[in-house]
Order: sequence, then C-alpha cells, then structure tokens
Amino acid sequence: MSTVLEQIEQQIAKLSSKTVKKNTGNIRAVADGVAKIDGLSDVMYNEMVQFPGGAIGIALNLEEDEVGCVILGDIALLKEGDEVTTTGKLLSVPVGKALLGRTVDALGNPVDGKGPIGSTETYPVEKIAPGIIVRKSVSQPLFTGIMAIDSMIPIGRGQRELIIGDRGTGKTTITIDTIINQAKINKVGLASGDKGFRPVYSIYVAIGQKNSNIVRTISALEKAGALEFTIIVAAPAADNPANQYIAPYSGAAMGEWFMDNGMDALIVYDDLSKHAVAYRQISLILKRPSGREAYPGDVFYLHSRLLERAARLDGKGSLTALPIIETLAGDVSAYIPTNVISITDGQIFLETDLFNQGIRPAVSVGLSVSRVGSSAQIKATKQVGGKLKGELAQFRELAAFAQFGSDLDAKTKAQLERGGRIVELFKQPAFSPLPIELQVTVLFAMQKGFFEPIDIKKVVEAASSLKSFFTTRKDDLLTEIRTKAALDKDLEAKLQAACEEWKASYAA
Amino acid sequence: MASHAKIALKFARQLFSMSIVDGAVSADRVAGVLEYVEKHGTANPVMVLKAYQRLIATELAKGHAIVEHAGAVNDAMLAAIAASMTKKYGRAVTATAKPNAELIAGLRVHIGDDVYESSVAGQLAALASSV
Repeated sequence: MSTVLEQIEQQIAKLSSKTVKKNTGNIRAVADGVAKIDGLSDVMYNEMVQFPGGAIGIALNLEEDEVGCVILGDIALLKEGDEVTTTGKLLSVPVGKALLGRTVDALGNPVDGKGPIGSTETYPVEKIAPGIIVRKSVSQPLFTGIMAIDSMIPIGRGQRELIIGDRGTGKTTITIDTIINQAKINKVGLASGDKGFRPVYSIYVAIGQKNSNIVRTISALEKAGALEFTIIVAAPAADNPANQYIAPYSGAAMGEWFMDNGMDALIVYDDLSKHAVAYRQISLILKRPSGREAYPGDVFYLHSRLLERAARLDGKGSLTALPIIETLAGDVSAYIPTNVISITDGQIFLETDLFNQGIRPAVSVGLSVSRVGSSAQIKATKQVGGKLKGELAQFRELAAFAQFGSDLDAKTKAQLERGGRIVELFKQPAFSPLPIELQVTVLFAMQKGFFEPIDIKKVVEAASSLKSFFTTRKDDLLTEIRTKAALDKDLEAKLQAACEEWKASYAA
Repeated sequence: MASHAKIALKFARQLFSMSIVDGAVSADRVAGVLEYVEKHGTANPVMVLKAYQRLIATELAKGHAIVEHAGAVNDAMLAAIAASMTKKYGRAVTATAKPNAELIAGLRVHIGDDVYESSVAGQLAALASSV
C-alpha cells in the first residue's frame, strides 16, 4: 500500500515542477460536425485539438482570425464559448495484428463488443506516401479467386485497381470474394509450413454504408473463415461526415503497418464516391470555394494522397488497394469516377446489362484493364489464358454483327460458339472464389476443346463437374500446379490425361 | 448574407489596422474610429463593430496576462510575471491577479491564446488523462 502512495507522491513531485504551456481557443459556432474557433493561433494544419467532454477535432481551415475544425465524436455537449486546446499531435490510430478479426470505428475504437484492443503501437492517420526510390515494381500476383479477373485483368501486390459500376452490379461482392480468397490462400500457405510464404492481411473500410450492409459483409467473412485475417473499419451512414472522411485514411494507416513490417496487405475502400460526398459536405460547411458538382478544388488530392499510399516497397511488404466507385447510369465520365480512374493502375468495370443477363461477375472485358498487365500473373495462367481477352473482345464484336444476319460461315459460327462457352465458364457464384490451380485447370480444358462437344447451356454444369473431379480425385495434380506455377510438358500431359479421364466419366 | 459578413469583416480589419500605433492598440485611434463610424455610418454597423471589437479584444489580450491563483499572490510576483512575459513575447505585457479557488494551489496564466498551467488542479487533470 505504501508503495502505491510513494508512486503517487513521486508522480506529483514530478508534475509539480512542470509548467505546461497550452494554446487555446473558444468555440464561436458549432454546426453539422464542424466548429469555428476563435484563437488557437499556434494550431497546425491537420493537428488534433481537444474539445471538452473528450471529443476531438482536426484543424482543417486555418484562417486569419478563426480556425475551422471537424469534430470526431459526440458533438451534442459542445456549445459556444467552450474552451478548445491544441494537442501538438496528429490524429493517430492503433495498428498491428491485434486488430485482425475486429471491427473498429474511424478512430480505431472497437465497435464489435469484443472488448478492448490489445494494440501497443499507433500510426498517424495522414502520412506522406512512399517516394520513388523506396518503391519496387508490381510483379507478384494477388489472386482474387475470380476467374474472369485473374485470367484477363490480373491484380498485383501493391497495385491500385478500381472497381467501378452502377449500384447493385456486384462491386462489393468482388472485393469480399478477394478477401475470402486471401484467407483461403493464407490458410493453405501457413499450413504448408513454407517459410517463403507471405500471407495477405485484409482491411475492409466501409464508408457511408448502411449498418445492415456492414453486418452482412462481416457475416459473409465470418462464415467463410476470413474474418481472422481481416480488419473492418466502419464509418456507416449514421456517422458524422468527419468520421466518414477520416475512415479510409485510418484504414490506410493500419495497412501501412503491415507493409512497413515486411508483410502484404489488401485494403478495400467501399466506397470512395460516398467518401467524396462526405468531404464535399465538410468543405461546404467550412465555406471552402466549391467547383465542379459542388466538390471543393482539392477533391482530386483527397483521393490521390490516399491511393498513393498503396505501394510495393523494396525490402519491405506491400499494400494493394481496391477502391470502389459507384456510377450513376453507367456514366464513367462524371467528376469523381474520372479522377479515380486516372489515379489508379486500372479498373474493373461492371455492367448492369451483363448483370441482368445473368453474367456474374458482370465484368465488362472491353472497358476493364489492368495497367500492370501480365507481369502480375503466374506463368501457368499466362499459358492457358494469355489470349482470352482478345478472343472475348472478338466474340463481343462478332456477336453484335451476328444480330443483323442469320447466314454465318462456319468459322464465324465456331468463334461465336467458343465465345459463348468462355462467357459461361467465367460465370461464378458470389462468395466462392476459385483457387488459381483450379482456374488453370478449367482454362486448360477450355483451350484443349474439352467443353466444345457440350451444349452451351450445360457448360456451367460441366465446369462444376470438372472442378469437383479435380478437387476430389486429382489433388496431387492441383498441388503440383500451385507449387510449380507453370505448365511444363510433363504437367501438361498429366493435365491432358486427367481431363480425358473426366471427359469419359462426365459423358457416362 | 455570407458576403455581407465577409465585407463587414474586411472593413473591420481595415479599422483595426488603423487603430494600431507602434504595435499596440491606441485608445485615441479607437475613439476616432468609433466617432467616424457614428458620424458617417456604414453598412451593417453592428456586424462591423462586433468584428472590430473581437479583433481589438484579441489584440489587447496579447498584451495582458491574467494570473489566476489559489493562495496569496503579491505585487512583486505579478511584476515578475509581467516582466517575464514582456521578455518572452517581445511586447509590453501587464499582469492582473484573479483568484480562482478551483486551482487548489498554484497559478494559471492566460495571455492571448496561450495558457501557462502550474496549478495542482491542472496537474491532477493531466494525471487523470494519462492513467
């Protein structure tokens, strides 16, 4: 007991000799999550300020005789005249592996009712993106588990690939599939005991979404066993715009920790359209001059500084970003979509028409592109799917022309049939990503014409049969494809023989 | 409305800059400014004068230290604080005492936006936030 008292006495003695200088101001007006403050003459841009009652704010507008702050937290208790104090600190969030499997708010506080987070480290929310020297070119694949993407629009570790489309076209589903696939790969890789295996940890940032949607996403991840490798940062629609504005930067800080510590991470921003809207709201309340579509002048910088933080670092890890943008009536030429398209290293465009035709994922092959290209693909995928994008584009062109006439030559008919089969093969249900070795097998069978005798309507069923045949009976062959990552003559012969075996069993 | 406020603030700043002589607020100039506004009038006079008052008050606060204290503070101590602040800020600073029992013991000095906290209440608050 006396030790405790001594400790307190020592602490008091230590404090009593100190004179602390604070810079203060007073709230002049507070509304819509933004406070105008008199004073705070020493405050710095983006500095955290302390409001009474525990709420914190970020200084965003430094004017001649007032400061505009966004308030993070409960603003109900704040009133005119309240004292505000500078902290000399930038806003920071907890980082580290302790966050995996947890759902946190924009400030890193747990919101999942699972108790406090045992994280010891913090990272600043706003950080300058890595420079040129420390970066390395993107060359390692990040498998989404979606055949249409992995074979035609490959994504590499450290890449920024935009997912864009109208509402209800499956944008979120693609990202959830990707997260689930990372978890599946992680489990296989970690169980194999391979020391060179690099797991990918995921961060899902929900911005301005309905709470029910966030719960659905968490349930899907939990059901697939992917939550243990994932951090959820939630800034739902009910949160104030300041939290929605900060959330993606908080998520990026959490991802950067993995990258800086030699690990790989994937971050999904769902979605940046709502993020831009939240920032527009803050900017208008702060009376910043508005420009096109009433967005402030720095809305490009808002997203460029965020997405530039995704990188592959030399000698360290990587942070891959999958931002989502929601378009209105397929208009990709609107302000925010064009901005983000120009920042990212490619885009996956999802079409409502394809979605309604039952082609899911509704990836528009013509409008989708990955600027990293085949350097982010394994050799086996290149060998079996190298020409797929061209073939599919040719098919779409031919299909459009074929609508005008019924007399088609045999070659055109064959091309149309083949294209139709490829489209069917790429159909994939939600939340069931396909391992890369199975993708290679299906594409190999397609290239070798194993699906050609099968009626187009039955291709999906046949592909499903092929997958279960390989999974249940040819596991060693799948393991060989996964470990070799390339098809040599021997492996090709084995694959050919296995496909023949499947064909015989399927025909029977 | 917003543009009226901006114009009023701009005008108030002009009046404020006219009220400063040798880096300090001149009482004569302030009286002259008020007389001018009263005689000649101005658009949105209340808005202009409120903004002007805020600017003058902020400026005056920079040259005046309010020493909150719990316990005795003598004139010599106030003079020492004023001299120290004058040296620190490079401008003439006066000091006045203001008793505040909530501090428990010690001092808290306000000058402009800055607060120098050396009270037991402040230290206990810091201790509470660090636990």
